[in-house]
Amino acid sequence: MYIGVDVGGTFTDIAINRDDGSNLLLHKLPSTPDAPEQAIVEGLRMIMEQEGLSAANVRRLAHGTTVGTNALIQRKCGTVGLITSRGFRDLLEIGRQTRPAVYDMHSDHPAPLVERHLRIDVPQRTLADGSVHVPLDEDAVREAAGRLAAAKVDCVVVCFLHSYAFPADEQRAAQILLANLPNHVTVISSSSVYPEFREYERFSTTVLNAALITIIGSYLDRLTASVAGLGVPSEVKISQSAGGLMSVRMAREYPIRASLSGPAAGVQGALRRATAAGFPDIITLDVGGTSADVALLRDGTAVEVNERDLAGFPIRIPALDVNAVGAGGGSIAWIDRDGLLKVGPRSAGAVPGPLCYDLGGTEPTVTDANVMLGRLNNETLLDGRMPIEAGVAVDGITRLATALEVTPDETALGILRVACATMVKAIRSISVERGHTPSDFALFVYGGAGALFASDVARELGMKRVVVPPDPGILCAEGAMNAALSTDFVTTILAPLGTEGLRDLRSAAEELQARAANWFTAESVPVEQERRVWTIGARYFGQNYELTLPFDLTLSSDRLMAELKEAFHAKHETTYGFASKSEPIQIVNVAVKAIGELERPSLPVLSEDGKAAPVSRRPVLFDNDHRVDTPVYARTDLFSGQLIAGPAIVEQMDTTVVIFPEETAVVDLWGNLVIDIRRL
Amino acid sequence: MAMSPIDAELLRNAMASIADEMYIALLKSAYSTNIKERRDHSTALFDAAGRVVVQGESMPLHLASMLGLVEVVLEKYGTEGVRPGDMFLSNDPYVGRGSHLPDVAIAAPVFHDGKLIMFACNIAHHADIGGMSPGSMAGGMTEIYQEGLRIPPIRLMRDGEVIQDVMDMILLNVRVPEERLGDYNAQIAANQLALRRTAPLIQRWSPDRIIEGCDAIIAAVARRTRAAISDLPNGVYHFEDLVDDDGLSREDIRIKVAISVTNDEIEFDFDGTDPQVEGNNNVTMAGLQAACLYCLKVLLDPDCPQNHGMLNPVTIKAPKGSVVNATFPAASAARAQTAQRIVDVILGALAPAYPERITAASNGANTSAAFFGRSAEGKYYVYLETLGGGAGARAYRDGTDGVQVHMTNTSNLPIEALETEYPLMIERYEYVEDSGGAGKYRGGLGIRRDYRPIGHETTFSGQGERFVHSPWGIFGGAPGATGKFAILSDSGKERRLANKPSALRVGPDSVINVVTAGAGGYGDPQERPVDAVAGDRKSGKFSQDYIDKHYPKQS
Repeated sequence: MYIGVDVGGTFTDIAINRDDGSNLLLHKLPSTPDAPEQAIVEGLRMIMEQEGLSAANVRRLAHGTTVGTNALIQRKCGTVGLITSRGFRDLLEIGRQTRPAVYDMHSDHPAPLVERHLRIDVPQRTLADGSVHVPLDEDAVREAAGRLAAAKVDCVVVCFLHSYAFPADEQRAAQILLANLPNHVTVISSSSVYPEFREYERFSTTVLNAALITIIGSYLDRLTASVAGLGVPSEVKISQSAGGLMSVRMAREYPIRASLSGPAAGVQGALRRATAAGFPDIITLDVGGTSADVALLRDGTAVEVNERDLAGFPIRIPALDVNAVGAGGGSIAWIDRDGLLKVGPRSAGAVPGPLCYDLGGTEPTVTDANVMLGRLNNETLLDGRMPIEAGVAVDGITRLATALEVTPDETALGILRVACATMVKAIRSISVERGHTPSDFALFVYGGAGALFASDVARELGMKRVVVPPDPGILCAEGAMNAALSTDFVTTILAPLGTEGLRDLRSAAEELQARAANWFTAESVPVEQERRVWTIGARYFGQNYELTLPFDLTLSSDRLMAELKEAFHAKHETTYGFASKSEPIQIVNVAVKAIGELERPSLPVLSEDGKAAPVSRRPVLFDNDHRVDTPVYARTDLFSGQLIAGPAIVEQMDTTVVIFPEETAVVDLWGNLVIDIRRL
Repeated sequence: MAMSPIDAELLRNAMASIADEMYIALLKSAYSTNIKERRDHSTALFDAAGRVVVQGESMPLHLASMLGLVEVVLEKYGTEGVRPGDMFLSNDPYVGRGSHLPDVAIAAPVFHDGKLIMFACNIAHHADIGGMSPGSMAGGMTEIYQEGLRIPPIRLMRDGEVIQDVMDMILLNVRVPEERLGDYNAQIAANQLALRRTAPLIQRWSPDRIIEGCDAIIAAVARRTRAAISDLPNGVYHFEDLVDDDGLSREDIRIKVAISVTNDEIEFDFDGTDPQVEGNNNVTMAGLQAACLYCLKVLLDPDCPQNHGMLNPVTIKAPKGSVVNATFPAASAARAQTAQRIVDVILGALAPAYPERITAASNGANTSAAFFGRSAEGKYYVYLETLGGGAGARAYRDGTDGVQVHMTNTSNLPIEALETEYPLMIERYEYVEDSGGAGKYRGGLGIRRDYRPIGHETTFSGQGERFVHSPWGIFGGAPGATGKFAILSDSGKERRLANKPSALRVGPDSVINVVTAGAGGYGDPQERPVDAVAGDRKSGKFSQDYIDKHYPKQS
């Protein structure tokens, strides 16, 4: 038995796979933000009792959480002190010396997480080539330890310039601090968290990690104790921002790696389902109430990026390249000062919600447009739990239509088209703008509102197939349990791609190899389940941004050099539209992703028995023309191998799937609805 | 039939995403630090008449200077003289309607079935454009010929091929030509990207709908700008302030404005402003327009998309040959310094009209430090960077410390990148204690940055402003501290430099000390809350002496 848990701000989702081919057990219950583990334990106890399951059979419990992210946003995190090179006390606050919005004098970057009086600079300065300009003043570090201890810090970070390549001073200062600070104070050096150049981003990542350590540590204590209390024999695994899992041990040390894990777990779930269904190349579209998240997977692998923001601070951790935009079911439609129709980024959220909930909402939303057009059920949603007042939605959209001087139907369609354009733009930025052609990919949709937009988005991008998984609302929880253990090691070398540079590359790889080996041992990964993925970051000399390229360490140096050169020019050409073949290439960093494969539960299979008949019919407006009498199917009635010809609507608890006229959908063995987008 | 507000939004969205994509592509593939790290570039799509329809994320100083090139190309070649596969470039402030020579604009016409539909254009600040001084930004020059290569609007490409003669001519005139070639390639590629992206867009919407849509998108911004101006009370608002000097012969250069708001229209009249100067901080009409539009946007409607429509309700008057409407052959490389002061006087004038959005004066400069030299290993380098300073205090909050303000928002180069690429080291990078003006809300602090050449002698040139005339406080707030350039020798001597030093040689036994101005405070210092004053003390940003002096009651 495998369990996946996703704790969000509003709901805690639990998915259980009994690993016998039977359906997933799913449970959604309100989150308990003050003590997130309560909802988890409560939910697990309930579902196990109901189904007569024994905790002793749990082989893995995987957990994605936003506990850290929420703590940062609310700034309920630990007190952090900082030791840095003399003269650079303000570096963390100056940042990149820019304002966040060029044309807004009233918005600021968030105040730094280390207060200025807790930032202490000590005599120390190493230069780019490793030469010592000012040696580390150890007494000054001891003195600083005293001041920080008196200020009752929870954690101290050590951030020296050029430590990505020359970490000795940071390590020495950390030793001194550990010896001179109370036992409960954690000490972290920037080179241990993210040993790459560009000081502000490295320092910021280290500070955020430090700020999370206390809060995540105590959460993990409570969580592991209460899960053990249920009788679960295996250790909890934590989802990471790059989609893989990590042990509780790693999560305590590097809590920052879990910070963006929610969307990553969803992508992991999509990856598993899409690959099984024969779609290794997909673009995911996860539409919720407020935002849409998109990601691209090629050959069953998700693209990763390093540069992300968390609570307004830059962080550099491996994370799936998930692009989020402000368009969801609750997004509000409004007329801007210029008279043009806009949708989002403001959302009506769950409260007051769209007009059609009739709970006090005053502005029309995307959901109201869908209700008005008949795409969403105009009587009830959520299996009858949410009554819908279609008339209120129609009134609101009609008011908007009057102001826009177009018909109410055109307005409702316009709302969907504008929201769709926002999602299309997000997808273009991770596909077309990176040299991929969307028509080579299937669109994999999830989240409550994804399947309402699937066809419009796919058509706009020339995509031919849409895949809707059986439980789109709970894919994050499902995804977590399917992931492997993984971690990333990286080192900056800044060497030319030539004979000498390859020597640097190989010696860096050796060092990374050793670090990966230590990790495999610490995580008890059996040798046959070890996997390594090697990459370099490279650029033309003089550029500032690197492109990531995979490489094969076993190749001869000549071949490796030739292949890397060719691959780099080609990637530059697809990414930026030109390559400068005579220009020298610089290797910026070498990285290895260490993966410990875990046993995966088998995917449940859908029965071939079911009911082919629709449960009802209703008029639906698909385009500018007229309403079409459309059959409505219940998702729970569908059976493996079933064909559905559009126009059709498929409803399930928290999702509605729209199949347009001339489209056909087939239900596959695993219960996915695969829609063929013919009307191109 | 006019385009519906729904279709206009959809087309705007589609066109804006092309301009955004050009912007990112140029940023990521360029060589000049000015582009790749400091984002001193902009991208836009124009209609066939030469009006900006959508602009990517962009530098305020490019708000209008980009407007020039396409217009001039159309005047010079006529619509019939522009052919598919052409690209044009120019950098000249006078014949090309740019704002200074290092900003090179490149435009590509977009055709559909032989018909001119629009133009894609980008502009980028090159690290060098030739001239007397490395980096092409130094002071000490009196006419534009000394500042660099003047490129009139000419063809760079024909039939989709670069005209090699033109490129050779340009590259021979600039320093580090290999890198500059990389920048030209990146700019050409960004336009080619736009050509690839606009083709399916035009196909899908049809050329007529696109042309109709461009009108609708420009009209929408015009409407929106008019609505925003209506928020200001009618009246005439006056202000004046001084630029420190021109680095050569003139000090205390006066900039004066009278702003008339009449319902939904606004007029900026710079009558009474001093004549253009011998130094290089003259602003041409393109720069003046950019500064006025920046103020409108930042005060009235920060989210307003930028296009030609912004100009619709705006009239700008300035004496020809004045420092804000300079004529040939005035030097203009450092026009950003004066543009910052133009912003100061506009915001100062409108303070009574919009006290809750206005701020006290910020550091009012685009403080720049340029280094040229030959490393101990014999490699030539040119490096330019600009520094932030204090931002003015606001009606509800303190001003930001150490940040780029108004017409510039370029990020710093990471020290670890700088020290890896250039034989320079940074010894200090920190806030300047006590440099923010006191007030109910205090002004932001200036920045101190110290540079040391390693193992060789470097040639330093700088541009400083608000080194003499303090950034003013408002509604009772105190002014912020001024900045300075100095040489600190290891023997302990400090030598104060001119505000715009040119080609100064500095060896490895000295440090170049750059201090930028702070910013003014907002409101009476006596009203500053006691815990805010306690915070000033605890953070170490203000000394006890300063607190005793400005906040005697609260200390």
